Amino acid sequence: MIVAEQKPLPEIRRMISPYERVLILGCGTCMTVCDAGGEREVSFLHNALRVAQSKGGNEAHHFLESTLKRQCEPEFLEMLVDKVGEVDVILSLGCGIGVQAIAERFPDTPVLPGVNTSFMGISSEQGVWDERCAACGDCRLEDTAGICPVTRCTKGILNGPCAGTKNGKCEANKDMDCAWVLIYKRLERLGQLEKMRRYYPMRNFRAIPRPKRLVRTPVALGEDDG
Amino acid sequence: MYPSVSGNIQKYVVHRIGMPSRDRSFVPPCQATCPLHMDIREYVDLVAQGRIMEALQVIRGGNPFPSICAYICTHPCEESCRRSQVDKPIAIRALKRFALEFGGDRMIQVEARTAHSEKVAIVGSGPAGMACAYYLRNFGYPVTIFEAHSELGGMLRVGIPRYRLPRDVLDVEIQRLTRMGVEIRTNTRVVSLDLLFDMGYKAVFVTIGAHQSLRMGIEGEDSPGVIDGATFLREVNLGLKPSLGDNVAVVGGGNVALDAARTVLRLGARKVTILYRRSQAEMPADPAEVEQALEEGVHIQFLVMPTRIKRQDGKLNMTCIRMELGEPDASGRRRPVPVEGSEFNEEFDTLISAIGQAPQTPGDFRVRIGRGSTIQVDPATLSTNRRGVFAGGDAVTGPATVVEALAAGRLAASRIDDYLQHRYPSLDKGGRETLVGDLLPETVEMIRKIGRIEAPLLPAEARIKEFEPIELVYDWEAAVNEARRCLRCGMGAEILFQDKCATCLTCLRVCPYHVPYLDTMGTIQIPADQCQACGVCIAECPAKAIVLRKPYDRRHVTEELDHVLKSASESKVSPLIIGFCCQYGLFGTGTLANLWRVAKAGIWIVPVLCIAKVEADHLLRAFEIGAEGVFVAGCGEQCARENTVAWVHNRVQKARKVLSEIGLEPNRLQTYVPSATNAYPAEWLDGFVEQIGGLYLASVIMKEVKVDSR
Repeated sequence: MIVAEQKPLPEIRRMISPYERVLILGCGTCMTVCDAGGEREVSFLHNALRVAQSKGGNEAHHFLESTLKRQCEPEFLEMLVDKVGEVDVILSLGCGIGVQAIAERFPDTPVLPGVNTSFMGISSEQGVWDERCAACGDCRLEDTAGICPVTRCTKGILNGPCAGTKNGKCEANKDMDCAWVLIYKRLERLGQLEKMRRYYPMRNFRAIPRPKRLVRTPVALGEDDG
Repeated sequence: MYPSVSGNIQKYVVHRIGMPSRDRSFVPPCQATCPLHMDIREYVDLVAQGRIMEALQVIRGGNPFPSICAYICTHPCEESCRRSQVDKPIAIRALKRFALEFGGDRMIQVEARTAHSEKVAIVGSGPAGMACAYYLRNFGYPVTIFEAHSELGGMLRVGIPRYRLPRDVLDVEIQRLTRMGVEIRTNTRVVSLDLLFDMGYKAVFVTIGAHQSLRMGIEGEDSPGVIDGATFLREVNLGLKPSLGDNVAVVGGGNVALDAARTVLRLGARKVTILYRRSQAEMPADPAEVEQALEEGVHIQFLVMPTRIKRQDGKLNMTCIRMELGEPDASGRRRPVPVEGSEFNEEFDTLISAIGQAPQTPGDFRVRIGRGSTIQVDPATLSTNRRGVFAGGDAVTGPATVVEALAAGRLAASRIDDYLQHRYPSLDKGGRETLVGDLLPETVEMIRKIGRIEAPLLPAEARIKEFEPIELVYDWEAAVNEARRCLRCGMGAEILFQDKCATCLTCLRVCPYHVPYLDTMGTIQIPADQCQACGVCIAECPAKAIVLRKPYDRRHVTEELDHVLKSASESKVSPLIIGFCCQYGLFGTGTLANLWRVAKAGIWIVPVLCIAKVEADHLLRAFEIGAEGVFVAGCGEQCARENTVAWVHNRVQKARKVLSEIGLEPNRLQTYVPSATNAYPAEWLDGFVEQIGGLYLASVIMKEVKVDSR
């Protein structure tokens, strides 16, 4: 799941200050789950902005709130067509993908990011999220016992651990587990320690073209019959 | 109001559209068990909030004579109360009595006007007859009650002793009937129904009760000094004082036997012994009353049955035999079997036999009689074999409870209405589902155990001196605290908008009772039979997909807030302070209601049903409309739930962050929970008001400085 964090209120106020009519647009999937831009956060931000405005600010905004199931699908964005005409700006509480999807769909309306899209991760407990995947496009989890060194090692090294590991923690942050120690322990548990002994060649990230695009080639009907 | 705010209000509420206003709660077991289907959960909840007048309205809406039930109802609701799975059931009857006494039930007038010309005769003025008259009169029929005795009330008058049901209570209810325009003919024994039809009555409701005592069928039963229970109670209740002697025996184990024994004590007998042929567990009488009788000094001999009575020298020489319990019989109780050769003799002055009663229907009624001399009726319509003749109450069921009789009377009234209006009986299928299923052990474990608060009783020595009512009423605080124990079965949270639910599992993780679970399809379920309606998941759900099942609860905080905001915006007093206070504890017990009255003007209280239901949004809205300070006050240790405050703290922190981000002092928003070090809300509130006053003054000065410098 994509994890994000709502931008500080002053920054949001600064962004919307040139505009009068603001649509606060939530997203009902990842942003809801990570408490950054679901219906509750949309409503809370709306209230916060109104308090800010009523307590001494010079702004005079009109707010509209709405939450789509997902901002990253063109079909869901179609539902906004009527509303977009009524507003001067869209403050999207979707991730960076949602913001760009809106920008593409509504070329004449400015769109502002209300959240800082942070990473892809899991919720370890109520209210805590941890990064787990960097979407590198070349998954190595088979060899690393299901623990990703690209995201969970500070250095992202493929042949660890480095010399900075101490008591299973990382030298960069003493509260953070060393990913390679975790990998070693889990490989040991699975009886696959030989995987530690292999050398994995460095990858050439330049060779992966950006932005990436994925095209699922449809199988032509009748092809299977040969 | 700020222009942008007023211009925006419509859009603000837009997301609330689409919320159904229908009651989606389940019928709780108490209501399902009550023969009258009273909305018990509702009035108990209203008592818990200290809203006694409204509780009384709910009670009167479901019961024609609630004051009678408040004294002597056998409360099957308490037997089915799910709280007994946690500790002890809610004291529903005592709470009803509290609501009636404190809500001013005696002042309530009932009126009715005549809308139909068909006259209805009611034969017998017991609870069933009275209830039937009440409802028929409400429908607009001219109603006449015929009563053989000199006073109205049937068994309530001649059977129930005064210490259980004070006669003024009964008289008030009868007075209401008369005021409604019910015609009453006392001292009139109806011997033939044909006569009634000849007199122009179009329908007759036969509710003659079960006044005929059953005979023991033993030798010497007709000796002088042997009296049956029903006759004895009737004589005492109608003002006679039978001479009993010092040593009295009562045979039987039902409520009549107990009533008779306790009445004998109050008449001054030295020793009263109840002889019952089974053991205490099988006694049909209300266990609480058995206990009270024992306290008062009634002796009970179990597993004993009289076999012969002989009158000698002015005394009764009674031969008894000891019994033992055998196989269970048709009633499910173990059958008593005599023990061979265990006979013994005992001497008494008087013997009262109270082993059961049966109706005695005059033959000229020409209604079909069934088992146990009861009148046979169609259970759905209460109609007998004769056209236009309906029957109900003890005459149909055999000796039963007052609440069953009231229910029969109500049913008869609507069926007689159907009959007279030539309608097909509208059988009520019921709209809402009944809640079934027990609480799971893990839910029970998380529910705070709070013992049942019993209504106070007079001490036993004082009780037996006279016929004064023995049970006293709760005081305000005891009643509110007792009512707060209610688990609010079936009115908890539900995921109303499954399409909105992102299955984020917040509800599952935050529920204090571990109620929500993931089903095998990966969908979150909140089982209605476990949910305690605390509201934590509702305020935490990031998708706002969860609501409470009752429409009133759904809107409560928002509506109260709107209401307060409206009034507050009209008030000119500054600084404006808004407080969200728990309606159950602080407010319900009067602590905060009191504060509200004495506190300095400018403080407005939004009563909430537990502060766990206050969302961060609500706090911000209060600031938006101009509050200088906002506080949330909960009940702390008194709270019926564990750990509600932690959630409120989180939300307060979140709102405080916003305050500091827009340049307001975060301590304008505070939480108050009574604790050992901070036990007086008034003191705390004074401090808070002072603080806000200072901040407000500072801000005014700042503004003026700004204006001057321009």
